[in-house]
Amino acid sequence: MKQKIKSGFSGSRIWFILILFFITSGSWQCSNTGSDQNAVHIEEDNHTSGEQAEEQVVIMSDKVMKEFNIETARAAAGNLDIYIQLPGEIVIPPANLAHVHPRFPGVVKEVKKQTGDAVKAGEVLAVIESNQSLSDYVLKSQIDGIITEMHITRGEMVDDNIHGFVIADLSTVWAYLQIYRKDLPSIHPGQPVMIIAETGSPKVKGTIDYISPIINEETRTATARVVLRNSGYQWKPGMFITGKVTVSGSYVKILIPKTAIEMLDDKPVVFIRKGERFYPSKIVTGKENNEFVEVLDGLKEGQVYAARHAFTLKAELQKREFGEGHGH
Amino acid sequence: MNKWIDFSLKNRLLAATLAVLVMAAGYMSYTKLPIDAFPDVSPSLVQVFTETEGLAPEEIEKYITFPVETSMNGLPDVELIRSVSNFGLSVVNIYFKDGTDIYFARQLVNERLQEAREQIPEGFGDPKMGPISTGMGLILFYYLEDTTGQYSLTELRTIQDWLIKYQLQTVPGVTEVLGIGGWEKQFQVMINPDALLRYDVTIQNVIEKIKANNLNVGAQFIERNSEEFIVRSVGLVTNISDIENIVIKTKDGTPVFLKQLADVKVGGAVRRGVQTRDGIEEVVSGMVVKLYGSNSSTVIGHVEEKMAEINKALPEGVRIVPYYQQKELVEAAVNTVIRALIQGIILVTIILILFMGSLRPSIVVIISLPFSILFALIGMYMFNISVNLMSFGGLAIAIGMMVDGTIVVVENIDRLLRAAPKDEPRIHVVARAGKEVVRPVVFAIVIIIVVFLPLFTLRGVEGKTFRPLAYTVSMAMLGSLIFAVILAPLFSFLIMKRPSVKKRKVAEPEQSRENFIVRFLNILYLPVIRYFVKHRIVAIILGVVLLGGGAFVYPRLGSEFTPTLQEGTIVLRLTMAPSISLNESTRITQIVERRVMKVPEVEHVVTRIGRGEVGAHTDPVNSAEMYILLKPVDEWRHAETQEDIEKVIRREVGEIPGVLSNFTQPIQMTVDELLEGVRAELAIKLYGDDLDRLKETADQIANVIRKVPGATDVQTDQVSGTPQLLIQVNRQAIALYGVNIEDVQEVIRAAVGGETAGQLFEGVKRFDILVRYGEEDRKDITQIRRILIEAPNGTRIPLEQLAEIRELVGPRQITRENSQRFITIQCNVEGRDIGSFVAGGQQAIEQNVNLPTGYFVTWGGQFRLQQQANKRLGVVIPVTLLVIFLLLYSSFSSLKNTLLILLNIPLALVGGIVALWLTNQNLSVPSSVGFIALFGIALENGMVMVTYINQLVRDGMPVDAASVKGASLRLRPVLMTALTTALGLIPLLMATGTGSEVQRPLATVVTGGLVTSTLLTLLVIPSIYKWFAINVNYAIKSEEK
Repeated sequence: MKQKIKSGFSGSRIWFILILFFITSGSWQCSNTGSDQNAVHIEEDNHTSGEQAEEQVVIMSDKVMKEFNIETARAAAGNLDIYIQLPGEIVIPPANLAHVHPRFPGVVKEVKKQTGDAVKAGEVLAVIESNQSLSDYVLKSQIDGIITEMHITRGEMVDDNIHGFVIADLSTVWAYLQIYRKDLPSIHPGQPVMIIAETGSPKVKGTIDYISPIINEETRTATARVVLRNSGYQWKPGMFITGKVTVSGSYVKILIPKTAIEMLDDKPVVFIRKGERFYPSKIVTGKENNEFVEVLDGLKEGQVYAARHAFTLKAELQKREFGEGHGH
Repeated sequence: MNKWIDFSLKNRLLAATLAVLVMAAGYMSYTKLPIDAFPDVSPSLVQVFTETEGLAPEEIEKYITFPVETSMNGLPDVELIRSVSNFGLSVVNIYFKDGTDIYFARQLVNERLQEAREQIPEGFGDPKMGPISTGMGLILFYYLEDTTGQYSLTELRTIQDWLIKYQLQTVPGVTEVLGIGGWEKQFQVMINPDALLRYDVTIQNVIEKIKANNLNVGAQFIERNSEEFIVRSVGLVTNISDIENIVIKTKDGTPVFLKQLADVKVGGAVRRGVQTRDGIEEVVSGMVVKLYGSNSSTVIGHVEEKMAEINKALPEGVRIVPYYQQKELVEAAVNTVIRALIQGIILVTIILILFMGSLRPSIVVIISLPFSILFALIGMYMFNISVNLMSFGGLAIAIGMMVDGTIVVVENIDRLLRAAPKDEPRIHVVARAGKEVVRPVVFAIVIIIVVFLPLFTLRGVEGKTFRPLAYTVSMAMLGSLIFAVILAPLFSFLIMKRPSVKKRKVAEPEQSRENFIVRFLNILYLPVIRYFVKHRIVAIILGVVLLGGGAFVYPRLGSEFTPTLQEGTIVLRLTMAPSISLNESTRITQIVERRVMKVPEVEHVVTRIGRGEVGAHTDPVNSAEMYILLKPVDEWRHAETQEDIEKVIRREVGEIPGVLSNFTQPIQMTVDELLEGVRAELAIKLYGDDLDRLKETADQIANVIRKVPGATDVQTDQVSGTPQLLIQVNRQAIALYGVNIEDVQEVIRAAVGGETAGQLFEGVKRFDILVRYGEEDRKDITQIRRILIEAPNGTRIPLEQLAEIRELVGPRQITRENSQRFITIQCNVEGRDIGSFVAGGQQAIEQNVNLPTGYFVTWGGQFRLQQQANKRLGVVIPVTLLVIFLLLYSSFSSLKNTLLILLNIPLALVGGIVALWLTNQNLSVPSSVGFIALFGIALENGMVMVTYINQLVRDGMPVDAASVKGASLRLRPVLMTALTTALGLIPLLMATGTGSEVQRPLATVVTGGLVTSTLLTLLVIPSIYKWFAINVNYAIKSEEK
């Protein structure tokens, strides 16, 4: 009997140990099953690495492309004009300007023309009585032009050091453009230039005919000159303008919009489409302007590339790079 | 204890009044209790936000985050300081020890912020504390609907910021309303740099002049004829033309007006967030943040009333449309538990009536339910626990246990009333019957309360989640104890009758006084128990087999922390390429929105991209949170549950080129983020110094983790990938011209980034006046190169001659924890328990990743919480067991009896484990709580059985006979307590409503465990009682020999 009791006790001891097992092992502690599943994962590992042969591809159907507004274009040649924009203003060519001085001090007897009047060469502008000779003499315009300034009033005693009239021939004007040091090498006389007024119009084509050999000490800029015909007087001297200089215009073999270029691992790429697949292709770029760029290498004529919203392709590629990785 | 029975029976009126008072007080408490969906698990956290527009993460870290962080070091009770330096925003999270008073913590932080402010350079922003709120504080999101289509996004945003926001902030309990979307109105002075050159002014001149021509002053008062006249001078700009006509300089008497230099227009401020809707439009939206500690349901109620009011004041056709409210969740969660509670009460009542066989004793027992529940409510009120899924869940769990004590008392009274001599006064019989069982009843209930004690020691999230449950269970059990001891005898005396003489005749053999169900069960039970008592070995085999089954199943169970609560709102999170622009991310988001809208069950989609006003979200522009609003469930065609519908949406959305997506839920998302700074179940943190190496190593780790089975949504923090245009001023070049670095930088900042030159007031509304180059003149690198800098001698030099300008890829954000940089790799685990996943992951990293020196990895997220809980419970549970052991020992004064009763525990565990396995659930915190509850119930059952057999043995019955008789007599109470408990849980087991997923594992464990533990109590305990019998046993046996 005693033995039986003892065995009962030992039984209870086992149960006690079991209790402790359950409790100390913790209700949620992780079991060993983890390592079993690891074995499966190595297989998977090999599996995925096999698929990695086709790296750097984005597969996208026409439907999705349309949904995400990804536009493609065919690589082709084109004209690439490169502009530099220069600030400037309209000035009167010095040769077109005439100052009319009273020859002798005297009293103004008559003023025949007003500011703004158009005058011909030799036309009388005013009559002055000389203090020395007390005889009248006339002030005549030396050129055809418009009176832009007048500093003479009837009865006024004028000195010989004031210019009584300023006459400007505005049939041609100059556009003076300021060239920063950096742009100097690329700007030459003879280059076509678009002169645009501050307000957007008028707007006219011209040619650089002169570049100052000296750099202005104060502004550190050189000056380029464009002669403009100004029959309707639409160019007003003093007007602020912008000159868009075509630095070079060239026909390039492959010309693409800048929107097509994405930076991948710090290198410029375009996404070339073959069927439903887009491949990033590293490109070497040549000349460029604000919108277009020449491709020297990496894109061949006739290839289809993503021209707009290529960012989505790049993002997808990066996502997939995270997804499949370079673990090995 | 006996005294209490006497007292209540003597002072019946007093006792009854007290009972009524307690119940009334319980009801009063209930009406005052705050109502929430879940217990708020947010940590004690103070957030410090510093916004500095236009500053890159490196600068933010250096100039702002670091001083703020260091100034917070050494504050009392600070557990952790974590920071994120983003583009233009620094966020420092200061975590305090759990339970730290939030206002105290804020005060501490505020004091130190003064210090930090001194160290932050002028103009680099002012650190501010976040709203006084928690992760559950985002109670309501809304957007503005404009049916007329006449209002621009700028106008709508102005309505939001100046009308709705301030109105809503007056609602008590609302601490902040944060706007997002649309455009913040701004008066923009778009400078033409060519004009600056021509008129020979600089952008700084312009800013100064605008500031100098826009102010009102007061000049005290003058006295005239005994009256005071206040003198004021008004010179504020009031509209665009006022700004345009500010004179910047005068040359030869000719003024140069601002309009000659710049376009002045109303525009939108730089924004870092957008709100879109249904893939068709941008909207303006706002979120209401609840004050810490206020009652969600009341606040939401008040906010809704206020919104109705505001709607009337809004322009015709404009309306506030809430698109997410916690109210629905709160209602759903509370409904789930209250329904379970009521169903539980009904089921328990039915069982009682069936088993008790007569109505009157049943009534007494049933009264104990409302009494205990109302008693618990008083406790909730005193301990400041809100009505929520867990606290009321506790009541639902306890229903079956609440009645147990009273059942034993009432049953005994019922029995004695039948058996007692007719001349004994009824009150004496009741008192005697009560006194007979009061001791075991008290012990049993105290043990159940003790069993729940470990839950009080839980900390952190699990503590906040389950402590309310432990409180309500303990309080309800205490209530039931009071009822059983003091009130049950009283009510029995008042309600129960002596059985009529006729009945008593029939009721002579004790068994036959049971009703037919119990008699029927006994007919089945008696032969079985006789067999078991005779063949003890069979009983042992049964026990061992059960245990073996448990041991077999146990390793097959997965583990998780807490099952995900279904909040009823689905959020699809999109993460896009880190370099993406806000415009592009808006475009992509709208495409995804349109895809989601194709799912017929989806009613609306409202998405927040990036961040709005600082305070709630800190997301960068490549991150979008899509709130998917579903049609009512009965209109669904493809799915039944939230999980199903997520699958349907996932299928429809499919792969999104260039976008990572994952599903989450609003509260889950916010709470997760506050806890770990990440939103996934698992967060692997890599610490180190060098940003590039961190990134590289983190990518390696992510690749390794991705191959561990079960890994989904693996993401590395996108710490890098933001392209930068770096302008590095060349010191030699500036020396040539005599220019300072600052001169260059100021022009860059104003020209490219824009600088505020005062404000324009429209009534009380104020809008910034921003001076900046026109877009055409700053939009790309060539334009920026041409920005002119003025040297002291008046020379204008293009920027490119003074600085090197290059493009590079820089960090997107810098995260730090306790003053060390780190990167998080986050992932979710699918179809596998986190525990084993982590083990596999750790091993894989060890094997495949070579950590640079000084770099180390920690595992966080839910896993970390689990480990903590494990560790704590590893200490507390054995201690609890010891306490129970002592209690049992002092009750039975027999080591062997105590051991016999403790045997219940492993067998109960087995049932729980098998039930989890059968229902395909994991071991988790709720299921552990279930095991804890199970301990209590199992012990109680064992006690009832052993007590009675002991009694029979003491009365002189041979052990075997006593075992059989005791077992058959105790069949009724044992079955009743087991059934009431199990049936009380059935509603939780069956519930599908919000929050049921947390209660289900708990109910599963208890129900399953009850099956095995009842089997043990009924079959194994009586049969092996012989070996564990009390000492009397020996005496009798030795006499027999």
